[in-house]
Amino acid sequence: MPVLSIKGLSKSYGKINALQNMNLDIEAGNIYGLLGPNGSGKTTTLGIILGILKADEGSYEWFDGQYGEYHRKKIGAILETPNFYPYKNALDNLRIISHIKGIKQDNYDELLDLVNLSHRKMSAFRTYSLGMKQRLAIAATMIGEPEVVIFDEPTNGLDPQGIAEVRSTLTKIADSGKTVILASHILDEVEKICTHVAIIKNGAMLATGPVGSILSDDVFIELKAENMEHLNRMLSKLDWVNNISNVRGMIHAEMDPSHAISEVNKLAFENHITLTHMVARKQRLEEEFLQITK
Amino acid sequence: MNKLIHLFSLEWLKFKNNSVFILFGSMFLLTFPLAIFVGKEIKNLPPPLPNNSIFYEFPTNWEWLAYEGSWLVCFFLAFIVMNMITSEVSHKTLRQNIITGLTRKDFFLAKLISVFALCIAATLFYVIVALLIGFFHNDPYSLDGAFSDKLWVLRYFLMCLGYLSFAFMIGFIIRSPGISIFFYISYTFLIEPALKWVVHYKIFSNSSINYWPMNAVEDLTPMPLMKYTENLPRQDLDFSFLLEPNHAIVAVTIYSALFIGLAYWHFMSKDI
Repeated sequence: MPVLSIKGLSKSYGKINALQNMNLDIEAGNIYGLLGPNGSGKTTTLGIILGILKADEGSYEWFDGQYGEYHRKKIGAILETPNFYPYKNALDNLRIISHIKGIKQDNYDELLDLVNLSHRKMSAFRTYSLGMKQRLAIAATMIGEPEVVIFDEPTNGLDPQGIAEVRSTLTKIADSGKTVILASHILDEVEKICTHVAIIKNGAMLATGPVGSILSDDVFIELKAENMEHLNRMLSKLDWVNNISNVRGMIHAEMDPSHAISEVNKLAFENHITLTHMVARKQRLEEEFLQITK
Repeated sequence: MNKLIHLFSLEWLKFKNNSVFILFGSMFLLTFPLAIFVGKEIKNLPPPLPNNSIFYEFPTNWEWLAYEGSWLVCFFLAFIVMNMITSEVSHKTLRQNIITGLTRKDFFLAKLISVFALCIAATLFYVIVALLIGFFHNDPYSLDGAFSDKLWVLRYFLMCLGYLSFAFMIGFIIRSPGISIFFYISYTFLIEPALKWVVHYKIFSNSSINYWPMNAVEDLTPMPLMKYTENLPRQDLDFSFLLEPNHAIVAVTIYSALFIGLAYWHFMSKDI
């Protein structure tokens, strides 16, 4: 049973199509990365499924409709920026959230410990740094043991230490077995945390699936030899090397991960080719991403 | 009913230590019973007014206090209502409330309950202050004559509802704190009077000009001296420029329902 099922969502702001026929199913327990460049429609998608934006077309359903119009009480979410009452302290702000969700929460201290804010729990929200605000927002999403948590660019605008802190909190949450939706344009973040990924651009879904299926396992190799022609001929005979191309006097290719780069070196040696340059590295989401969104 | 209490206590939780609410609320609570005593300084009133005890004795203190209260409600309480709505937009807590699990309808209902609560509280305060002032002005102390015209309580309540539902609608539609207050004041004191006297009066020179919404609200608790002007020889107006209280009651009830309905329709159909 999908936790969230999105069918054919479209939305435009005037002439700009922010979202075109978006379809997506999110299963329980997935850590779903929503990946796309700025302005690709990530926040619009989240805004619609969180009830603050109206879709022009299409529909979505949370939890198979079992909680009716109060489904958002089972979701913890931050959209874009941390939004709290600036004149209230952390504790009072969290109390308001519990009140809306209709639960009696008494582990605020535990939550504030989780995000490292206990020492400032009595100061007004407006006195917080951006990192502290972001962390309070993360604590707020955990109120009432939600089944799903949604983060929109949670590390946006943070300093390196803040990013590290937020990421370690996110990893803790992801490990707790909740369904997580993480919108981000930072691939590294998605790659490290998520099990599934959906890539969107210009409001359209380009690819979706488990991180492994989107992210090919192929090893990327870069070779240079004195006799490039020989090398090229040799590589093209191998069925475990694909996508051979000449780039700036070098050969780029993809190699099946079941073979080792040393085999290439050995073959070259046997074929009397002297390699002057050899690099092998794992294809990263970043390259996939750039390729897909090209 | 449980739901209403839940929503109202949510609003209380949000605004009990909000500075605008505390500042304007306490100014209202202080000014309302005190400002009427400015009347003590007015020694000579124009005829046909006998002396300044009309401000304090039953039953005329009802109308003077209501007139005074209408100004304070029009400013202090209306600002509180607009702040209650627009500050949630500017702090983006409206979005967060919805994301957290409140439905739009609940959010709207919570604000509406608060407006009614403010109207009821202001009316109760009016009744208490009027009774106290009248009671201590009677010699010996008594409530004699206090209840000769009970309609004032209803008129006062509707005056509150008229101003506050208008502020409520503006808050929901305009959404920006500064522009809301600017529009509210300019509509009430400039735009409507201009439309009324320049446009409407040129076309239909009859009592229909009194049915403009803010004018109808004003005429629920008019300047008490106005009723004497009715006896003065008429100059260019051949109709009364005050609405009959009963007409004002009906008009303001309809307008308030309209304001609330428009705010609801707008809020439910737009992105937030």
